[in-house]
Amino acid sequence: MAIAHQFEYVKPPTLREAVRILARYGARARALAGGTDLVGLISDGMVAPETVVDIKGIPGLDRIELKNGVLSIGALVTFSDLRESPIVARKFPVVREMTGWVASVGIRNRATIVGNLCSAVPCCDSGAVLLVYDAEVLVAGPAGKRKVPLRDWFLGPRKTVLKRGEIATGVTVALPKQKHGACFVKLRRYEGEDLAQASVTVLALAGNSYRISFGSVAPRPIAAERVEALLDGQPLSEDLIQKAVRLVPEEIAPITDIRATKEYRRHMVGVMLERGLRAAVGRLAGTGPEYGTSLI
Amino acid sequence: MEVEPSDILLDVLRDELGVKSPKIGCERGDCGACTVLLDGKSVRTCLILAIEVDGCEITTVEGLSRAGLTPLQQSFLKHDSFQCGFCAPGIVLSATELLGKNPHPSEAEVKEAIAGNLCRCTGYKPIIEAVLAVSSKPARRL
Amino acid sequence: MTQLKVVGGSPSRIDGLDKITGAANYVDDLAFGPDLLHAEVVESPHAHALIKSIDTSAAEKVPGVVRVVTGKDFPYRFGLYMQDRLIFPTDRVRFVGEQVAAVVARDAKIAKRAAKLVKVVYKELKPVLDLTEALREDAVLVHPDLGKYPRCPWFFPQAGTNLAHFRKTRKGDVEQGFKEADVILEDTYTVPRYAHCAIEPHAIVGLYDLAGRLTLWSASQSPYTQRHVFAQALAPLGLTHKDIRVVTPYVGGGFGGKAGVSMEIIGAALAMMVKGHPVKVRWSRAQEFYNTYQRQGVIARIKLGAKKDGTITAIEHSLHWDAGGYVEYGANVVNAVGLSATGPYRVPNVKIDSVCVYTNLPPGGPYRGFGYSEFHFGLESHLDRLARKLGMDPVEFRRKNAIREGDTLAYGAKMNPSGLHEAIDRVAAEIRWGQRESPKDPNKVIGKGFACFWKAPAMPPNASSSAFIKFNEDGSLNISASGMEIGQGYLTVMAQIAAEVLTVPVSRIRIEPPDTDRNAYEWQTVGSHVTWGCGNAVKAAALDVRGKMFEVVERALGLSRDTLYLEDEKVKCRARPDFELPFKDFVISGIQTPHGNFIGGPILGSGVFMPEFTSALSDPETSQGGHPNVHYTVGAAAAILEVDKQTGRMRVLKAVLAVDVGKAVHPGLVKGQVVGGLVQGLATVLYEDIRYDLKGKLLNANFTDYKIPTAEDLPDEIVPIIIEVAQPDGPFGARGVGEHTMIPAAAMVANAVEDAVGLRVKRLPITAEKVALELHGIHYDDVKGSYMGLCFAGEPESYAFRTTGAKKRK
Repeated sequence: MAIAHQFEYVKPPTLREAVRILARYGARARALAGGTDLVGLISDGMVAPETVVDIKGIPGLDRIELKNGVLSIGALVTFSDLRESPIVARKFPVVREMTGWVASVGIRNRATIVGNLCSAVPCCDSGAVLLVYDAEVLVAGPAGKRKVPLRDWFLGPRKTVLKRGEIATGVTVALPKQKHGACFVKLRRYEGEDLAQASVTVLALAGNSYRISFGSVAPRPIAAERVEALLDGQPLSEDLIQKAVRLVPEEIAPITDIRATKEYRRHMVGVMLERGLRAAVGRLAGTGPEYGTSLI
Repeated sequence: MEVEPSDILLDVLRDELGVKSPKIGCERGDCGACTVLLDGKSVRTCLILAIEVDGCEITTVEGLSRAGLTPLQQSFLKHDSFQCGFCAPGIVLSATELLGKNPHPSEAEVKEAIAGNLCRCTGYKPIIEAVLAVSSKPARRL
Repeated sequence: MTQLKVVGGSPSRIDGLDKITGAANYVDDLAFGPDLLHAEVVESPHAHALIKSIDTSAAEKVPGVVRVVTGKDFPYRFGLYMQDRLIFPTDRVRFVGEQVAAVVARDAKIAKRAAKLVKVVYKELKPVLDLTEALREDAVLVHPDLGKYPRCPWFFPQAGTNLAHFRKTRKGDVEQGFKEADVILEDTYTVPRYAHCAIEPHAIVGLYDLAGRLTLWSASQSPYTQRHVFAQALAPLGLTHKDIRVVTPYVGGGFGGKAGVSMEIIGAALAMMVKGHPVKVRWSRAQEFYNTYQRQGVIARIKLGAKKDGTITAIEHSLHWDAGGYVEYGANVVNAVGLSATGPYRVPNVKIDSVCVYTNLPPGGPYRGFGYSEFHFGLESHLDRLARKLGMDPVEFRRKNAIREGDTLAYGAKMNPSGLHEAIDRVAAEIRWGQRESPKDPNKVIGKGFACFWKAPAMPPNASSSAFIKFNEDGSLNISASGMEIGQGYLTVMAQIAAEVLTVPVSRIRIEPPDTDRNAYEWQTVGSHVTWGCGNAVKAAALDVRGKMFEVVERALGLSRDTLYLEDEKVKCRARPDFELPFKDFVISGIQTPHGNFIGGPILGSGVFMPEFTSALSDPETSQGGHPNVHYTVGAAAAILEVDKQTGRMRVLKAVLAVDVGKAVHPGLVKGQVVGGLVQGLATVLYEDIRYDLKGKLLNANFTDYKIPTAEDLPDEIVPIIIEVAQPDGPFGARGVGEHTMIPAAAMVANAVEDAVGLRVKRLPITAEKVALELHGIHYDDVKGSYMGLCFAGEPESYAFRTTGAKKRK
């Protein structure tokens, strides 16, 4: 299959060294973790880095930890790691639910969630799901460390706020203090592996408040603020659900491409919102469908 | 051995080491024909640079069969699970990984484990039956 | 009738162990040493353009490049039924992705880099990307020299037009037939192109050695036909068949895509240019999609008439095929349909016009079903609709009109024995036809859909098979034949046939993928015919061997050959119960007489099968008079489909398919074809959605966006049913099966969708998106965007058929 483009490969043993190299080469270098995005891009000729910086040698980036109500996921944590983590299964079951619909086992064994956030593709599933939580991306760079709220992370298709020399080292997700239930619904063309044509994530918090995100129907994952505001403080009723569904066209800007028409995406986001709300509220009450059940 | 940074693991396995069971099917990670076990986990070698696996252990079907057929392989034989056989090495390894983690998978779990391995010939049913037959649960009629 | 011991059983596949241990070699696995050169092809970005110049100088200078080849090195035509292709075009390109040059280099990376340096200057021409435009009088011509191409005598291209071939069938009087009808229904259906998606991409290695011998290792269904096409194309260089050898190892899926010759000719040509070095051409997945055969798109208009008691009186079926830039193989798909587009029904008055149209998309060609998958969608959809218009149950309607042995086919020959009625009855029972089912979920509804199918192998009248059998010293035997194991189980079935005659168990029979130097001739492994054709040859060879065994025993030991029989790998004698001669004792060494001399020697047998009763000669205006099809395999199928009315998502709860195979030599393998074929067929209606932009570029040339089923996308239950109404001229009564199992899938789902939600979809595919939008008042074709699945983007009903073909340019 052969990659015609030639490049250098380095595997820095420390974070500091990785930052130094990335700062030096800027856009001519690319960080490599799982490689399921980057290697394909190089192979297709879409990117041609001079240097590939393998971060898999940096210690401490492969942990999943829950401390003081905050889940920390390191940059080298794979989708499979998340899927198999008892902490994630117990405390963030919707994140686990999402992993089941990302690619396939062989890809999940390599692909990292932080890498998915850095790819910033409009159909990014992890970005859409984490948006319903208070989540922050941890960044290390030449100017030191910083935290970027996920809501500010994505600038557009394949663009994040990362500056020259910076690297994402992890993501933190705050566990909601109230009782909650959640649901991730992903529109695909069939039951097998597919990139999202649309996604809806609902986090239903006790006390009738919601965090809702839509994925793959705009240049980046978006928070459905109007829908959240409509539902806030009110018990969920059929009437309210239908009102929420009617707001959908105002929240999203889907396109027509070879994967789906904008008409179908718009229609389906409404259906997914309806079913997602019911499932999330059901799970909050302890009666909803098991996480991982396909609703569409 | 020496590799260039741009050498893809799949090509190095096949062309430099002569390990032919991982196949070139799509070069994008969509079909699973290039699957090997890397430190026990199934991966798509078409999306890995050879240099990345320095120090890791790779298992292919040739390695599985060295000590004789595994019970899973015998089950595939018994069920005539494969037709053209091109997807077989990848599926054998994906199913081997599954049974290593989960000796009693449900049908849904078997399907999930091999969902990344495309097969155009069989319609998957005889493959799923064969995996369930060695999973200590009685195989359902599919 | 003696009890069969091996045929009818399901022994383990002969190639099973190879495939689960990684021992099975495919072309790309073969090792050729450090001398192996690699090729990278330079491709046209235009659907239709003149080639003004090709500058290879920069590419040639790259270190490691051995040779850069263009069309002027190889101005030789080739093609299976018509020679309308050049190895590399010299004057014009005819589809996006067509090869215009190739770089041969020491390694693949160098070849890739150098290929980017080849400069081609094109003058774009207006591409023919609309079937309505293609047949107009002033149409741009895809092949201005159409009249000059050598072709087989039963093809009718119209020079000066884009009409590459037509097949007209006329039986009875359709005008009269429609007058006799009480109900008539007429409508148009559209089927887009499809891609085979075998998991193994095409690959070939060629070596033109220093002694002038050309050997090809090819991932092919047809080694002998490939050799023949290579010999034709390379004859100007002085090569004949004797100088060319084709070796085909295991093939990773064919489905018709590895039949004939597509990219393989490049390997043969490049080998000639780098004498003494092996050179490999391996297709990427993207090239698999856009530069090998595709299943042709078709627009079909059907007019069907029936009396109120349900008897069909007439059919008028016009099919216009988007056949692509080259039709050397695809024209036969059009031809085959032109003979059989009545479906498996008795229809007294028939008018079929099947028209093959050149367009500037990839070449169409053989794909599992060979035109029958394509036309059954419209026909079986239409039958359902006519039944409902008559107020008749659709299954009863089919039962009433189902074809029987001895009925006259559309072209005048007679229908072979077949169990279509039994198939219909058993499928209807298994699917609980007539019983409505209701899901608990209020968003969902369940519908049932039914379809019948048939298909005959579409072959030249002299498509023959042959086989040798030889023994080894241990009494095991080798079968030498040239059918191809593409996954269907051909090797095992041939072994079973020999085992049945010679009593050597399958486990002691060796049969392997062929080599044209060593193996007996087989036309191609296509058309679902090798169980029948090659099986007959193997059986004849086995009978020949048996006859020779008896002859030598008679000569050496005086036992009359009429008293001899075989059992348990021994020759035995009915007149002498104590006599037994194990094969291993004489099949190489001969039989020693009491005088000490040996009689006999190595036992060898040969068998040939030629369907001597077929003929393609017929009246070109009516197709009457010939016997172009050896026989039909028939069957019926049905599906229970659950539809979510909000999302459009469809789930096949149960799929049933009954097929009459005459005699199931290996029932397990037949069931394997049913399951695999149904899943592939269901994919064409539910998931696969080929997208070209309006300039002819294929946009989803990958598995990310051209979806073939995964293990998660299966019917809950698949029930195969084997029917056995013997084929009199088949080995042990067997008839072929392979393609048939995907043929009814699209129509049965379309019929189930109408049953479930009242929506009649006349254009494939039927995706969840399409169903959801249509159910919510949005016409999918209005919003789908600037894409097309075949060379026609308009509404099916708006297509104007010209049954007399194109008008010539003045």
